Amino acid sequence: MIGASVVRSDAFVKVTGRAVYGVDYQEINMLHGFLLRSPVAAGRVIKLDISIALGMDGVQSILTAKDQPSEMAGWVLREQRLFASEELRYEGEPIALVIAKTYDEAKAAASSILLEIDEWKGVDLVAASTTNARIIHKNWKSYVPTAGPNADYPRDGNLACETKSNAVGVDVAFGQATKIIEDKFCSNRQYQAYLEPKSAVATYVNGQFTIHTASQHPFNVRERVSQFLGVRISSVRVIGKTIGGGFGGKLDAALEPYAALAAKVTGSPVKIMNTRTEDILTCPSRENALITIRTALNAAGEMIGRDVVVDMDNGAYSTEMPWLASLPLHILGAIYEIDGPTRITSRLWYTNTAPTGAFRGVGGTYLYMALERHIDNIANSIGMDRLEFRLRHLIDDGAVSHVGQILPDAGILREGFNEIQKVVSWEETVANLKPFQGVGIASGFWLTNPMPGQATVKLNEDGTVSVITGATENGSGAVAMGVRQIVAQGLGVDVNDVSVSMPDTDISSYDAGSQGSRTTHIVGRAALNASTEVKRQILEQASNLLEVDAADLQISNSLISVVGSPSISVSLGEVATNALWAVGPITATSSYTTPPISFDPGCASGLLFPTFPTPTYHVHLAVVEVDPVTGGVKILRYVVVQEVGKAINPDAVRGQIQGAVAQGVGLTLYESLRIGKDCRYLERTLENYRLPIALDVPDVEIRLMEHPDECGPFGAKGAAEPAIVFVPAAILNAVSHAIGRNVTSIPLTPECVLDLIERES
Amino acid sequence: MNITLSVNERTQTVQIDGSETLLEMLRNHLGLLGTKEGCTEGECGACSVLVDGQPVHSCIYLAAATEGCQVLTIEGISHGDELSKLQSELINGGGVQCGFCTPGFVVVLTALLKKSSNPSASEIRNALSGNICRCTGYTQIVESVLQLTEGKKTSNKSNLMINGSMS
Repeated sequence: MIGASVVRSDAFVKVTGRAVYGVDYQEINMLHGFLLRSPVAAGRVIKLDISIALGMDGVQSILTAKDQPSEMAGWVLREQRLFASEELRYEGEPIALVIAKTYDEAKAAASSILLEIDEWKGVDLVAASTTNARIIHKNWKSYVPTAGPNADYPRDGNLACETKSNAVGVDVAFGQATKIIEDKFCSNRQYQAYLEPKSAVATYVNGQFTIHTASQHPFNVRERVSQFLGVRISSVRVIGKTIGGGFGGKLDAALEPYAALAAKVTGSPVKIMNTRTEDILTCPSRENALITIRTALNAAGEMIGRDVVVDMDNGAYSTEMPWLASLPLHILGAIYEIDGPTRITSRLWYTNTAPTGAFRGVGGTYLYMALERHIDNIANSIGMDRLEFRLRHLIDDGAVSHVGQILPDAGILREGFNEIQKVVSWEETVANLKPFQGVGIASGFWLTNPMPGQATVKLNEDGTVSVITGATENGSGAVAMGVRQIVAQGLGVDVNDVSVSMPDTDISSYDAGSQGSRTTHIVGRAALNASTEVKRQILEQASNLLEVDAADLQISNSLISVVGSPSISVSLGEVATNALWAVGPITATSSYTTPPISFDPGCASGLLFPTFPTPTYHVHLAVVEVDPVTGGVKILRYVVVQEVGKAINPDAVRGQIQGAVAQGVGLTLYESLRIGKDCRYLERTLENYRLPIALDVPDVEIRLMEHPDECGPFGAKGAAEPAIVFVPAAILNAVSHAIGRNVTSIPLTPECVLDLIERES
Repeated sequence: MNITLSVNERTQTVQIDGSETLLEMLRNHLGLLGTKEGCTEGECGACSVLVDGQPVHSCIYLAAATEGCQVLTIEGISHGDELSKLQSELINGGGVQCGFCTPGFVVVLTALLKKSSNPSASEIRNALSGNICRCTGYTQIVESVLQLTEGKKTSNKSNLMINGSMS
């Protein structure tokens, strides 16, 4: 069962069109909501007149800031209310919600609301980080962290969070340098572009809200709805629907609190759906960032100091970004050893743009791009082969990270480099490249999200097994295959006899959502522990029925039999039924979260996300060909060597890596989500936001390394997220090699490539 | 206005608004929710259906234009619990993840396989150029079709090795 291919439990409904996604869900007598959103990035509402709209066909109610609870809400910082009351902080910010009998009526009425705005010049990332720009949140000091006032962190005006290492001797090292290598990198935003736009359906009965939504993190939605509406979390029930992709973009609440308020006001079920353009404008996309990285070299070409500044775009509100501002400290001091101090300053800035957030691989994508491009430039500057330079400086077992985390098995990185050489010989490839071809390599480590999960395993009276968990199946198969395989293996039953519930916050215990490759590792561990206890109960009951010592019994093919005497047996169904009247139903529940990992708390200020738990190790290699006429980049080969602990389902792991590389190719070469001079997105539809199609994506050559984790179920670590992280680094190194230019920004569109080629080298 | 057409081999008369799209008619009037709305501008292909055997993006195709036509949606591909061979291969080959694009892919590939019993990998990729999948990176979808037509999957699986061995 472990290491095998199995049929996903949701395969039939998905392949026949019968799966009920969030957008498909309906209630009887359901009303429809449509949001009036800010058409400008910054400004002040002068006049908001809903009187004409209220009289239009089908309109039931129109909600504005006057109707909202006074509570402030937010994932990390409580800084938001449902509707902008006066100041507008990003294009797409909700101003009013029209509730009508049909979607078309709601939309028509929203366009009849009279809105007058005094538009201001928006503050973008460059303005926020380099000038004394207008403060976007004048009351920023009054905002309270969601975890309480004692959990506050370094913030100051437009600086939404600052994370900074307390390095000593960096300036001295730069003073002693004989050469300083300095690079500046730029990464644009990337839109998750899940195929199913966001939606939500809410009902309200007798003080209880029920929300139906395709969320990656129903418990987070519950908390956010309770914050925005000022009710306790137990007054909100969130029921998960099939998710049409998320990739981080469906971790926070979006339309759910609006649907909830509308259901309360109207007394009817209310559905709200995003158009694709609304979804692009308001989705918490991967943040844009500017990175400056400087390394001091001595006369021998040794790295004796590093100084890094990363400026990230928070957008108008913080979502989970203050946590992610810690990432530069984990990544930019890692992987390659330096003989000297490193100082990393990470600054997160409020801007008049849509709030940014998590997208698979989060900031790791551009941070590894910056690190690995910089390493190439250092190697080139001292005339050393880029691979040799890496192998000379690679960290090893027991390495201590920039934040003081010990990496006991970091030597896996070197194994990864050896492994990739078996697929593609570096020397031969470099020697045989044709003009405008190049090769790039990148490596690094990534975390398995440690946050808590839970599973209840129960044996049914027909001998089948049900798992109840709040874990969400985001499409990866972690629930639809992985958790089922783990339980089947743990109990000795057929995987097709194991089913898993959909998430429901009233039924399961807390689950931290499908993020950071955590589901197989965390929920799998909880489910395996519960299975072990269920197995103990089964054997105890069977022991009584068969009058044989439990130690002499085994479970296979849904039968409990005596080891050595297989004819003496009882079925799982009989055991389950007998147990009902003997001891009660056979069931067990278990919880798991990764135990805390030690680090150096004095190493930095503002380090909200202090460690990289259950790390995995990765090496990527790209061979590319650039068309000097069109500027197009063709990927000739793409190789991923990835350490996974244990591949519970190798075909599924392959699907995750192939899919992650495709998203990485999009991020690196095609997907442009530009912020215009007026702080509004230039790309607003899928017509001009260019996603990779079947003709663009290479077949990835994949080599998995297995070093089982002692806590992971059957040794599994996180596997789904990380392959995207190293794609921009590998491709940009390859393109730089191909055209002999220092490529420093993504997306690297054909226009950018031509511009670089035409520049003097 | 009323139009009469065949949907999944059943002749129906539907009352529609002249400006309605085929997608709106399928989802809102006929309750056929398997066809998905991803972008409403003919870019993503989640709404793909066949009109007289030809794949169309139903989100930008007027319902009124299907008068007298044969429309085939995802609901007409399988029969009861019996999947088409293509559907089975997509499941076995790892061609389904979140599944939101899957109905569109099934419909378009069904049309391709009707035209060409033995398409090459590049013909498959070309046929899919109007359909976006954000999860799979396409490889396992393409392989599923090749497996169905040529039994090619084993050769492509060399793209995955674990601890130095074929998986």
